Amino acid sequence: MKQFLKNTLLFILTSLTLLCGIVAIPACLINNFSNFKINRRYKIVLFGHSHPECAFNDSLIIGLKNLSHSAEPYFYTFQKVKKVITQNPQIETVLIEYSNNQIDEKMNDWTWDYKYMSNMFPLYSSFMDASEINVLFKHDRGVFFNCISIAARQNLFKAITFDYNFADRMGGYLKLNRSQILNRGDSLTHEVVKNRFFNPRLSYINLIYLRKIIDYCKQRKKKLFLVRSPQYKYYEYRHNEKVYLDVKNRYFNDVKLIDFNNFPLNDDEFADPGHLNLKGASRFSNYFNKQIEAGILVFGTKSIMKHAGAINASAGVLK
Amino acid sequence: MLLLCASYFFYACWDWRFLFLLIFSTLLDYVTGLKMAGSDSSEHRKMWFWLSIIINLGFLCVFKYYNFFASSFAQFSANIGLQVSPWTLKVILPVGISFYTFHGLSYVIDVYKNRIQAEQNFVDYSLFVSFFPLLVAGPIERATHLLPQVKAKRAFDYYKAVDGLRQILWGLFKKMVIADQCAGYANMIFANSSVYTGSTLVLGALFFSFQIYCDFSGYSDIALGVARLFGIELLRNFAFPYFSRDVAEFWRRWHISLSTWFRDYLYVPLGGSKVGTWMKIRNTFIIFLISGFWHGANWTFIVWGFLNALFIMPSIILKTNRNNLEIVAKGKRLPTFTELGHIVLTFSMVVFAWIFFRANSVAQALSYISKIFSTSLFSGFNLDVSRSQLFETILLIILFLIVEWLGRENPYAISTLSKLQKRRYRMAFYYLLVFLIFLFTGKEQQFIYFQF
Repeated sequence: MKQFLKNTLLFILTSLTLLCGIVAIPACLINNFSNFKINRRYKIVLFGHSHPECAFNDSLIIGLKNLSHSAEPYFYTFQKVKKVITQNPQIETVLIEYSNNQIDEKMNDWTWDYKYMSNMFPLYSSFMDASEINVLFKHDRGVFFNCISIAARQNLFKAITFDYNFADRMGGYLKLNRSQILNRGDSLTHEVVKNRFFNPRLSYINLIYLRKIIDYCKQRKKKLFLVRSPQYKYYEYRHNEKVYLDVKNRYFNDVKLIDFNNFPLNDDEFADPGHLNLKGASRFSNYFNKQIEAGILVFGTKSIMKHAGAINASAGVLK
Repeated sequence: MLLLCASYFFYACWDWRFLFLLIFSTLLDYVTGLKMAGSDSSEHRKMWFWLSIIINLGFLCVFKYYNFFASSFAQFSANIGLQVSPWTLKVILPVGISFYTFHGLSYVIDVYKNRIQAEQNFVDYSLFVSFFPLLVAGPIERATHLLPQVKAKRAFDYYKAVDGLRQILWGLFKKMVIADQCAGYANMIFANSSVYTGSTLVLGALFFSFQIYCDFSGYSDIALGVARLFGIELLRNFAFPYFSRDVAEFWRRWHISLSTWFRDYLYVPLGGSKVGTWMKIRNTFIIFLISGFWHGANWTFIVWGFLNALFIMPSIILKTNRNNLEIVAKGKRLPTFTELGHIVLTFSMVVFAWIFFRANSVAQALSYISKIFSTSLFSGFNLDVSRSQLFETILLIILFLIVEWLGRENPYAISTLSKLQKRRYRMAFYYLLVFLIFLFTGKEQQFIYFQF
């Protein structure tokens, strides 16, 4: 019995040690050698989820690199921001999408629900610190261990193949060809779902990490703006507008919001209420490019106010 | 006593309230056994026997089948123009009820038929019913097999304990790697079967086939391994069923403890194989329909049972059902082409039947099958998942099948690993399994047979 227990314990300890090695060594290699470098001509970077991913066609905007990624909450964006800012000293301006659904509790699921976490966590787990790992571990250990396993597998593969390039994985403009299908009852449906947003619950984890992103960029003396991409008039999350602005003013009033919520677009320029299609993205991106040329991102209150006047009253309003 | 307390604690961790049901069922069968043993009157014995059978099956019917009967009755009434709103139970199914009820029934039947003596020690009897490794998903034990082991003084056996751990490790690999990986794809495909091409639906059925095999046989391996650590040998539940050459052989190798239970307590009393062909056909259909119904209160399980009975018919009629008693290609490395053809044909029939087992309704199963047999069968897969992940899963299944094939003459696939001369090879294989379990573990899924 003694021999059995001794051998079993030895086997378990050796297995655990080897497994820790399999998790930690590739993660360290990736953390040290990961490549987040973007072309030096890009001085402006944009982070966010699928709204800006589909709205900002960066091939039409001079000097801007769209690094948004679908279903990416701020928790994972923060990891990306740290690496991109560190490895690309030429970056002067950082744009962060701040749209209505990003305050909603739905973002909690985006952060730690298996469906989303199994995609995001393996990509950025190597760059997280212990407290961030702990946030996910504490929330759901089962999901956490599932995702650790996926992350270890992917990291091991990257380490074995010396594939440390993240530049192609961290996001970019997503072209959508489809147009939204409109129904006569859309306006009615829009009103019906309003009740859901009377008392919207906030995603504090998302708001905390937006704050961390802002602080991180400020510490590194980057120009920083929040941006809201165009949203369709019947986009359901517009119902939380009051809370949305309240959160903005309460927690992020030190950062300007470039607001394109009401940017004038036709119905057929949306792929769905939250996302622009190719046509909409082209028109919007060209417009945004002109605004950059006009100096919308020039730092300094006076400058902003001066250019704000030149911008269409319903689009690109600086708040 | 310690094992019994551990078993009750294990069950109470799921839902302590249903522990009373388990204890009541145990007490009922224990008292029934004593009463039957202490009675000289056959009428008295018969009365106790039927009392126990009715109460045991009554509990099973109430918890598992009542809502099915009520809704089926309402549906039938609606079809003939009568509107009935049946009263349905809003209660969860006690986990393992089908298994421990069958444990108890086998004991009561065996005592009634004088095959065994009634057990005098309540603790021993309770442990036979509730031994934690087999409590929630079998194997369905027999009193003749388990009770003597419970009563015997057990001494620790190093090699048996190591063998137990090895089987647990293999079971974990089957469940956490193969079954849970396959589950993700099978769930996705069955949940949205209308949008997928025929070829993708075939893939979905294949994934489910490996999921259910690795899920259930993985659990059985873990249960057998854990029991072996305590010096108890449980009944073997699986013997490489997917290498069967006909459906009769498949059923001798799949869920063996349930198949033999039905054989001994239902098929044989109905006349078994010693009756004419028509009676044999009738008995076979009865067994498979009841076996299907045992799995769950849904028409899909009944159709699944019916299909299996249908598939086994040719071998019953042609009296070839006991042709393949030994494992395929025994003592050889590879099967012959004929054997391989039979394996593939049998596997295809089994996979076809699994579609009904997995579908939510008979209508969904029929639409699933009709889509398979459409022109879309020849179009590519339209599964919206990462190709590399899909490839990984298929590769793991192939590797798993190779190991199963190499170990098919043994109680479980890797049991002969201990005979490897060099310890370092053996250890390397164990560490490889641990790595694979860690790296490829799929999203946690509950054991399928827990619901039965």
